[in-house]
Amino acid sequence: MDLRLKGLKAAVTGGTRGIGNAIVHVLAEEGCALATCGRAPERIESLRRQMDAAGVRFHGETVQGRDGEAMRNWTRNSVEALGGLDIFVASLSAGGGTDEERYWYRNFEIDLMSAVRGVEEALPALRQSKCPSILILATMAASETFVAPMAYNAIKAALVTWSKQLSQQLAPEGIRVNCLSPGPTMFKGSNWEMIRVARSRIYDNAVRQQPTRRMGTAEEIARSAVFLASPAASWCNGSHLLVDGGFSKRVPF
Amino acid sequence: MPVERIKPTDFTRTPATPAAKPDFGSATIPKERYTSAEYMRLEWERMWTKVWLLGCRMDDIPNPGDYHVTSIGKEEIILVRQKDMSVRGFFNVCLHRGNRIMVGEGNATSFKCQYHFWEYGLDGAFENIPDLETFPQGAPPCKGLREVKCDTWNSFVWFSMNPEAEPLLDYLAPLPEHLEPYHFERMVKVADMTVEWDCNWKTSVDAFNESYHVQGIHPELLYFIEDKDVQIDCYGRHNRYLVPFSTISHRVEETTEIPHLIKHAMKEAGMNPADFDGRVTEVRKALQAFKRKHGPAMGLDYSDLNDDQLTDDYHYNIFPNLTLNTHADDLMLFRQRPHPSDPNKMFFDVFIFKLLKKDEPRPKKPRHEQFKHGEKSLGLVLDQDAYNLPGVQAGMNSDSFDGLWIGDQELRIRHFHHVLESYVGS
Repeated sequence: MDLRLKGLKAAVTGGTRGIGNAIVHVLAEEGCALATCGRAPERIESLRRQMDAAGVRFHGETVQGRDGEAMRNWTRNSVEALGGLDIFVASLSAGGGTDEERYWYRNFEIDLMSAVRGVEEALPALRQSKCPSILILATMAASETFVAPMAYNAIKAALVTWSKQLSQQLAPEGIRVNCLSPGPTMFKGSNWEMIRVARSRIYDNAVRQQPTRRMGTAEEIARSAVFLASPAASWCNGSHLLVDGGFSKRVPF
Repeated sequence: MPVERIKPTDFTRTPATPAAKPDFGSATIPKERYTSAEYMRLEWERMWTKVWLLGCRMDDIPNPGDYHVTSIGKEEIILVRQKDMSVRGFFNVCLHRGNRIMVGEGNATSFKCQYHFWEYGLDGAFENIPDLETFPQGAPPCKGLREVKCDTWNSFVWFSMNPEAEPLLDYLAPLPEHLEPYHFERMVKVADMTVEWDCNWKTSVDAFNESYHVQGIHPELLYFIEDKDVQIDCYGRHNRYLVPFSTISHRVEETTEIPHLIKHAMKEAGMNPADFDGRVTEVRKALQAFKRKHGPAMGLDYSDLNDDQLTDDYHYNIFPNLTLNTHADDLMLFRQRPHPSDPNKMFFDVFIFKLLKKDEPRPKKPRHEQFKHGEKSLGLVLDQDAYNLPGVQAGMNSDSFDGLWIGDQELRIRHFHHVLESYVGS
């Protein structure tokens, strides 16, 4: 199946690590030009070298996700650097945290508002695209009780709701909006890698609930994500795809 | 990214520049030092009875007549506050028939043996010998209890069974300069435990003199400390290493979420991890700056400590048997004591002291608890350390094992043995 991504332009927030990074690589392999942002300058530079070596047009910036103006600037700069935009993927996340009220503000700014701000700035360019699409990364923990009640789970749930309603609003303009919720995912430098070592009971408990007794890989999430964002998924709109290897037990009729 | 340490021009009272690296070779350390009764005897004769040893805290015996009985090997020593507030120490042995006189700690006006009521003053001198006239030879000519050398430093009481022992400060040199900035006198004891371990006392000392074992038995600490880029310094008898805390090991990848032990350290200092937008490897320096700035308002005086000391573990071994994990807000002090007769057994004392905030009420002094290995938890990290030790000792007793195969990360173990050899011989 041809995903028909060749020659398209994609911007991915939080593309220097983990799932976001895997999405950047799969999109690049499929022939897209890429823009991304992240916190670590050396990761941006290393990604730039990889993209240069692969002959992929690339725009990368160091951005702190809580900084709203920086997020908006990066999105505008990306459109300009790539000469337009077809796909916007919101993957940036602050991760979990409990027992502090301030985590609500943290996840609100970094998980929710970075997506809202990025989408707002991307829309003018997406309206010019022949096959525009927006993909929002949420989490299985938004719809499945997981580890502990926390801002991360609930704020990600807000992204699910927002992306669905956005899809209704933008559908007449031909802009598709979809949402993908990964289950626990393991990659080099992932929080789960740390939890496996530093809080092994939480890790063991999570992996025991996985029918295959392993976590997903970032590539496994990225392949589903890239399909949803690609023109090949032209009839997927407002969908919320759970990619968790069977972790969640509910039957979503 | 190498660990960022304070620069030579930065403020510090505790010397922080690396000491010259000694060369102790790479020979195998004979295992008999850990297993042989003969070596244990020589160690007693030539080392334990010659060095200065930690007895108790000065605030264990604050008032005249307060006493504390401490033990080392086969000996027990009564440490007692005198009327002039000085501290003296005596063997806890009645000169009549050898009975032990005092137990534990408390306040006394005299030391009275409970066998025949021979009684000694706080200064050790005979006060009353019942029916003295029935001893044709009179009272023992020594005038009273056998005294040991006694002195105080940095809130602790020290003693030496060696009448020729050099002054305490000379023995401890150069560590007084290193440790006085921590102001242990401002800290209070919050835990006081003794555990009986089935290993030689040195097996325990070694376990804390290297951070090489962190990747083996404390994997969760890889997300709280730098275990490999550690500064090791050897000084005369004593040594130390400086272990960066509130950071992650070079053995693991940086994560986006701050690991929970680092979050805990931030919260303890009043810094909210949910508001920290830097990277995990940036927390340590930020936490130092935060404590420097907000410590005084929280009633914590860090003014004599350098920035690294606000987060890191400055970890000292005071020869022979003291392990000090010094931190800005607490001191975890371990004292390793030999068993009276069995080289395969020891007593592990854990004392934890906490820095009090200004005007913070003094917590009640903890009751001393003594138990056997495994009967009670010492906390995850110490339990992990303890878990291995009987196995190490048993393995060292095997005919198939020749001795300790020591690497560079374990330089403090070589240094410790170098000093031990200078007392006991090789």
